[in-house]
Amino acid sequence: MTDVINSDNLRSCFLPLNQFARLFDVLAAREYEVIGPTVDQEAIVYDRLTSIDDLPRGWTDVQEPGKYRLESREDQALFGYSVGPHSWKKNLFPPVSTLSVGERTEEGWQFREPEESTPRYAFLGVRACELAALQIQDRVFTGGPYVDTPYQRRRMQALVIAVNCTQAAATCFCTSMNTGPRCQQGFDLALTELSDGFQVEVGTDLGEEILQELETVEISPAQETRAAAARQNAVDQIEREFDTTDIRDLLLSNLEHPQWNDVADRCLSCTNCTMVCPTCFCSSVEEVSDLSGDHVERERVWDSCFNVEFSYMNGGLVRNSIRNRYRQWMTHKLATWIDQFGTSGCVGCGRCITWCPVGIDLTEEVAAIPKSQT
Amino acid sequence: MKHHPLQEILMELRFTAGLSEEDQQKLASISRLKEFKAGETIFTEGSEHQDIYVIRSGRVEICMTIPARGCLPVLTLEAGDLVGWSSILKQGEMTATVGAIEDTEVIVINANELRALCDDDHDIGYQIMKRIAAALSQRLIACRLQVLDMFGDHSGRAHPTQEGAAE
Amino acid sequence: MNEYPSAASRLDSQPNAWVAQTAVIREIIREVSGVATYQLALKNADAANAFHFEPGQFNMLYVPGAGESAISMSGDPDSTDTLTHTIRLAGNVTRRIAAMQVGETLGLRGPFGTSWPLEQCAGKNVILVAGGIGLPPLRPVIYRMLSERSKYENLFLLYGARSPEMRLYTSEYERWRAQGLDVRETVDRSAPGWRGNVGVVPQLLERLHDFDPERTIMMICGPDIMMRFTARAAMQQGMTAEQIWVSTERNMQCAVGLCGHCQLGPEFICKDGPVFRYDQISPYLKVEGL
Repeated sequence: MTDVINSDNLRSCFLPLNQFARLFDVLAAREYEVIGPTVDQEAIVYDRLTSIDDLPRGWTDVQEPGKYRLESREDQALFGYSVGPHSWKKNLFPPVSTLSVGERTEEGWQFREPEESTPRYAFLGVRACELAALQIQDRVFTGGPYVDTPYQRRRMQALVIAVNCTQAAATCFCTSMNTGPRCQQGFDLALTELSDGFQVEVGTDLGEEILQELETVEISPAQETRAAAARQNAVDQIEREFDTTDIRDLLLSNLEHPQWNDVADRCLSCTNCTMVCPTCFCSSVEEVSDLSGDHVERERVWDSCFNVEFSYMNGGLVRNSIRNRYRQWMTHKLATWIDQFGTSGCVGCGRCITWCPVGIDLTEEVAAIPKSQT
Repeated sequence: MKHHPLQEILMELRFTAGLSEEDQQKLASISRLKEFKAGETIFTEGSEHQDIYVIRSGRVEICMTIPARGCLPVLTLEAGDLVGWSSILKQGEMTATVGAIEDTEVIVINANELRALCDDDHDIGYQIMKRIAAALSQRLIACRLQVLDMFGDHSGRAHPTQEGAAE
Repeated sequence: MNEYPSAASRLDSQPNAWVAQTAVIREIIREVSGVATYQLALKNADAANAFHFEPGQFNMLYVPGAGESAISMSGDPDSTDTLTHTIRLAGNVTRRIAAMQVGETLGLRGPFGTSWPLEQCAGKNVILVAGGIGLPPLRPVIYRMLSERSKYENLFLLYGARSPEMRLYTSEYERWRAQGLDVRETVDRSAPGWRGNVGVVPQLLERLHDFDPERTIMMICGPDIMMRFTARAAMQQGMTAEQIWVSTERNMQCAVGLCGHCQLGPEFICKDGPVFRYDQISPYLKVEGL
């Protein structure tokens, strides 16, 4: 990312609710596929949206370790919830995608990229922790010696409309990871919901362009105060704290700590945490052949370090126990990620805590390793 | 002090290098040189043997007998290596057969005299035992690595590779 | 358009790292039981001319329908008309390769990975230590060094194999010796007629006397456990971990640091390795199941 935009200096205005409803038409006219929150299977997930009516109006979520449920709100807020099981990686780094195509010809096998057009997404409702997650995945997929072309193409075209949280779930801990709840950078537009519309902050020229197609008004001091108060509400509601002081050295010097055995007794190695985590990027490649065997595609699919076969080598498994696999996940996410990519791999969204069937909380697991033992 | 002729040799050999001059003198006085031609047996498994050897040059082979399979080589040793350590530990019978593969020259030390020297002078005894322990520990590691069959092909046993997954 | 890391300027200037090139099998040489050497040539002339590798690097060989396998290049780095790969039969992909004939094609992506530190060896003694199928990744080093022999002091190859008939490239040892490489071999288990060493590679090292440990570089390639004990023996003889280099292995899939499989601690074996300086990687090699 370029310089950190000071969110106090962004151009800000007020977007009435009826104008916000027109945003969907504006985006459609610009050939964007709008992806955003909607209710499905008793959760708030990210899916295609065609109008304001697809948003989870009047819904909120209640989250705890191992628990997630929706409840009705008393108001009609459109974004009155925290994050659900989906993250934006689902669209930028799809669970299944074709990497290359091989054809057997007279001159032997020929290989090429698949012929597909790159989707043009508009992400509506990106939270601060998710903005941080996007930056982290940018670093993973495009910041190294090899660029992941499929990811890069989708990312370059994606429009990001962020939403500032006005509440927090019990499992959130973005404040401890310095990733939120305030949206600071990495967006084209950022919205803060008020009862009759939104405070809009403009992050890029493209965001300004889109905003020009809607009728905004100057934001009043009263509205600014209400918006600030709403954002403060999110900060106040965060209960969870995670001390990450020297966490890299703490974890890497305690690779044989008994706490790993303790968590291994509870962990099911089910891979939920890696599926819902917005920064996890492990994948596998599979062969998909047609019946003739002359046309073979290489497909990339999401994988997880918790999968038993993940570390298979030479007839055996390097990480052959839940203990070793859990240790890999946590030390990678919180410690070695820093060596590899310069930041923590965790953004404090709390999804792994909510969606773990047995409610394992990684902040507690770390806290259980006494700091004196180094 | 006049050097015992064998002292020169003891000074260069890995096994005895680093001992004090005095200790090397004492050792030298109970040692002698011996030669074995390629193909000659130095001692046989199961025999009672009183000598311990430090190889000066050449190569020997340690082998053990298995009925119907013959005497199977398990280790080869060269200059600087200790052979016949069972003698000094008063273990009774030798645990393997040792034969020269090439023309070999060794320093022979009578085990009884060495043991007496060590009983008498605990300092030299400590030095000798330290060296025997070090030699055996290296041999033990080697033996473990051989047993682990680390170059063997262990693939395909427990886990079949997933189709498409790299090996 | 979103602005984000400098990679924006790299879009389309790099070939897609996931897509293979077509390679044809020019020659197959049967080595020992279960091992054969394949000489491959890239079909696209421009790609073939542009292909350059350093000793220690590997390619991903792709058999459509079976998958990919990471194979080190084991030929002369200064003669890349064909690319040499010595392959041991180990699973689905290598089994399919073993059934292929001269003239058939497969996919190739590469070269990948870090290389052996040849540039650090000028004026020094070099001890190459190989175990079993660990000799192929070191052979390019031998070729390069023997082609500029006067650059180096004493050169040693210490090679351990399971048994005498499993030793690789035996027909080349005479020539290597003649060109100034001191080749010493040992086997784990003997066979009738074998008059050479029986024992493990660290023992060969213990018997080396003509090298100054301070002016020596060591490169080790073989099973993890062999590398650990060889390094240990080397350090007991006065070398430091900064003078020792090893080539490691893990489950390799994408070879470009994107799939996550090959991680060992913070290192991606495919792009931060496979060649590492020993002090960098040994803390992680020692942790069981890491």
